[in-house]
Parts: sequence; structure tokens; C-alpha cells
Amino acid sequence: MASGVTVADACKTTYEEIKKDKKHRYVIFHIKDEKQIDVEVIAPREATYDAFLEDLQKGGPEECRYGLFDFEYTHQCQGTSEASKKQKLFLMSWCPDTARVKKKMLYSSSFDALKKSLVGVHKSVQATDLAEASEEAVEEKLRANDRN
Amino acid sequence: MSGGMLYGGDEIGALVFDLGHHSLRVGYAQEDTPKAEIPAVVGVGEDPGATTATKNDAMDIDDKKPDGNITQSGSKYYVDTTILHVPRKGMEVASYMKDGMIEDWDHFEKILDYTYAKVIQSDAEYHPVLFSESPWNVRSKREKLTELMFEKYNVPAYFLVKNAVLAAFANGRATGIVVDSGATHTSAVPVQDGFVLTQAIVKSPLGGDYISMQCRQFLQEQEIDLSPSYLVGSKEVVKDQEKPKWVKKKGLPEVTKSWHNYMVKKLVQDFQATVLQVSETPYDEKIVSSVPAVQYEFPTGYHRDFSTERFRIPEALFDPSMVQMRGGGVGNTMLGVGHIVTTSVGMCDVDVRPALYGSVVVTGGNSFIQGFPERLNRDLSMRIPSSMRLKVISANGCAERRFGAWIGGSILASIGTFQQMWISSQEYEESGKSQVERKCP
Repeated sequence: MASGVTVADACKTTYEEIKKDKKHRYVIFHIKDEKQIDVEVIAPREATYDAFLEDLQKGGPEECRYGLFDFEYTHQCQGTSEASKKQKLFLMSWCPDTARVKKKMLYSSSFDALKKSLVGVHKSVQATDLAEASEEAVEEKLRANDRN
Repeated sequence: MSGGMLYGGDEIGALVFDLGHHSLRVGYAQEDTPKAEIPAVVGVGEDPGATTATKNDAMDIDDKKPDGNITQSGSKYYVDTTILHVPRKGMEVASYMKDGMIEDWDHFEKILDYTYAKVIQSDAEYHPVLFSESPWNVRSKREKLTELMFEKYNVPAYFLVKNAVLAAFANGRATGIVVDSGATHTSAVPVQDGFVLTQAIVKSPLGGDYISMQCRQFLQEQEIDLSPSYLVGSKEVVKDQEKPKWVKKKGLPEVTKSWHNYMVKKLVQDFQATVLQVSETPYDEKIVSSVPAVQYEFPTGYHRDFSTERFRIPEALFDPSMVQMRGGGVGNTMLGVGHIVTTSVGMCDVDVRPALYGSVVVTGGNSFIQGFPERLNRDLSMRIPSSMRLKVISANGCAERRFGAWIGGSILASIGTFQQMWISSQEYEESGKSQVERKCP
């Protein structure tokens, strides 16, 4: 069941830029006029995770957003001497508990549409508070599928 | 979808119906709370001639809202709280729901007629309708409802959504497990990306009605007079635990047993809402006896404190072995709430399990028993692997949890882009009732 909200082409092109060309660090999406998911913020490569969280919450405690982040971490496989660097893209839906029900409803019922149009996104995260959106929580989720 | 089929429903308010065992919530989309909450029972009078006098009584009680009497082919139907609660001779009370689905379509139509005439006060053909349904609703009933709405009520557009999905969305989650503790059962419904994983639904008959039954049994064992307020003419103030002094109201019509039971149930439900509490840790007589007792006064004027029993009765929800202790004899085969959730998650794909445990959405009227979400949180954290993150979400606001699914439907129906999702009457005419399976999965 979906809300019928569509995804703007800009979302897909920005996604390709981040996935293939590694042009940006993260993207924030919002739903424009309750009709279309569009790009709100594009951050340069050197932007940090904290900046991402800040941008995610820029709309205030009553707003929801989606975020796409190119996450980097090091991972050491068993039996190897050197740790390797990993990059994983994840998509986050940010619906804080304090948000208006209307926003929560709109964003959560449209999340699937965005997820489907960004083909190949590694992991999706639903966050309703900062504990779930934190760097540690996300890293834990991304590492869950790695082999030891 | 082709442009010609688009339904521009934004101009006139869509209606949202949320069906439950306890009540039917109905109202306009985009509003914060439903316009009316109508009990999910219908009073049926057998002899319309004899009820004229009482009909006038009902009008006196509430002038603004005309009564919901609908006369048809010899029997008379009584709908909605104010009309239903008047003692009448020979009026039987019957529910039209069974196992979360509509069972008695005739009675259900009476409720719809009443809703359009008195609550909405407008004709059905002007308003698109969005219905909620239980996640295990069967195809034949879904099609029947579709047919009824289009054929009898001529609605311009129609949609059917699973209530668990609405509840999850209203709490900001597209994926999660919805724990719905309602009147007749408690269920765990996994939702992934807005779709119910039907094969992994787990339900248990331990719900609000079961608790009411236990309360009633307990109160009767204590030899407490459960006369509902309609019987009480006058009463005097008595001391704590003293025998009540009250006089029976005179000139009462001969009421049926089903109606009397219904009124007693209302009384017990009030007792339940006021007194009961779920203990935060598994029930331990020593611990709970140290918690201050709660005073409750019955309509007869009798009042006393309740202490350990306030915890013991609802404990059965979490630990069904308590059922047997109270002489039920069926307890061990049932699952406690925590167990329902873990069983349901266990039937889902390994990959979604962490996401489900990360969004346990609590909803339903029975979850209002004090301490319900806290206890669920504790029980689950003991059961699930420590590597999983657990989050129990329950809407804080009273109305938000009580009407969670309705509010979800209200918002969904008001979203501009949703207008293309409706089944329009045109589509129905072209392709028939089977549309519902295709458009409302």
C-alpha cells in the first residue's frame, strides 16, 4: 500500500552521481507539496556524519526527511593482515517521535517509492530518534552483513 | 494508470471507517479525531408497537441528536450509545463482528444507514470511503464490502486498507511489527514496506473481552453486586466495604438478558479501565501488595479498595499460565503477548527480523491497561537476542493510540497523490468487485 507520491528525476540523477562518481557525501530528500520527493540538500565529499544529522533535523522537531549517506568504515576479514576500507550507501527515513502524525504518515507511506527508484541502495534504516540515527547504530547495521 | 480513470476526490471530504469489535470509528478524512465512535452492536426490538413510549423517552434524553431507530419489516433497530443504553422491553443486543470480520451484513448495513443519516448527515454518493480491515480478512468478505458500498450506497470511490499498515504508518514506520491488543484478541502483524506479511500473523484470544470476563468472574466471587446504573433508582452513602443501600428503579420495562449482560459488561469495562494495571515484572504477590490500592465505587454505592487483584487479572495477558490458576483450564495452550511477538517475528525472513524488533508498534484499546507497553518492552528484551535493538513504540496521546488506525486512514485519504489510488465507481463498473484484490493488496 502506498501513498502515490512520485519521485523526481533529480533524486535518481543525484543518486547516480553519488554511487558511481562519488561526487557527494550525502543527500537529503523531502516531499514537496505532498506530491513529489525531491532533493533538498547535497553535501560535498568532506562533509561529516554530524553535519548529516544536523541537516536531517533542519526542518525542526515536527518535520520528517529522507537521507542518503555514503558511509565509510574499515573492516578486517579474518585471516587477512590488513584492514580494508568499505563504502556502503544507506537510505534513512527520519520520522522523529515529535513529528506531526500527518508528516509521519506521508513520509512512511512514501518511503517504499523512493527505495524502489534508487536501485542498488545497500541498506535502509528507519529512525524515529537520535539513538537510532546515530553513527554507531548505523555502522552496526551495515556491519551486520559483513563476514568476519 | 491512464488519466481517464483518475478520480479527483479532493473537493469533497472522503469518509474514513475504522471497524473494530468494540466500536466503529467514523469521520471525515483530514480531521484529527473521528466524528463518532459507535458501539459495534445493534439492539434489535421485536415488537415495534410496544416501543413507541420508550422511543419518546429516548428523544427526551437527547434532543439534539435524533435517535437511531430504524424500523424495517417488523423489527426495530437501535444504534449508538445514547439509544442503546435506554432500557427497552424485548430488545436483544447482537454484535455484527466475528473474528475481526463483518459477520452479520444486515446489522452492519443498519449501522451504515445510521452513520450516513445521523453522523455524516449527507448522502453516501458524494463521499469517497476508505475502510480499514483486519489483516486476515478473507477475499469473499472484502469483495462483498466492495459490492455493498458501490451497489447499495453508490459511493464515488472506495479503498480498503489493513489497519495494521495504517497504525505502522501513523507511527512513522513502513516496516515494523504491529501489536494490536483489541477487544476480542491480541495479534502480532508484521508489516514490511507497507505490506502485511500475511503468513506470519499470530493471534491469541486474550484480549479486552477476556479480561472483562475475568474481572466479572472475580467480582462475582467476591459477591459484589454488579447492578448497572440503569437499575439504580437512588442510593445512600455507605462506609468502605459496607453493604450498599440502594433502591431499585421503578417502572423498568422487562429487558432481555443480552441487553442486561451488555450493560454489566459496560460496568466491568469501566472497572477494568480504572483499576487494572500490568505489573512491570512478572507477577509477584509480595511486590504488588506493596503498591497502593485503588478505590472503586460501583453504581450501587458499594466501594472498596482493590490491591493485588488489579495486577493478577491482566497478568494473564503476558503469562497465560495464570489462566489455569483461576480455574479456566485452557490456559497453557495460549500465548502471552511477548510470545506472540517472538513467534511472529520467527516466521519472518531473517533479514527483516532486526527491522521488526526495531519497530514494535503497540496499538488497540486493550493496550491502555496501565503499564502494558512497559511490560511488553521488558518481556521482549528478555526473549530476543541481545544483538538485536529493541524499540517499543506506543503513541503517547490517548486519542492517537485509541484511534491510531483511524487517524492513519484519515491522513492517507487526504494526501493529494493518494487520489489516484482509489477504486473509482467507473473502474468498478468496468471490472467488477475483483478490483479490490488488485488495487488494495
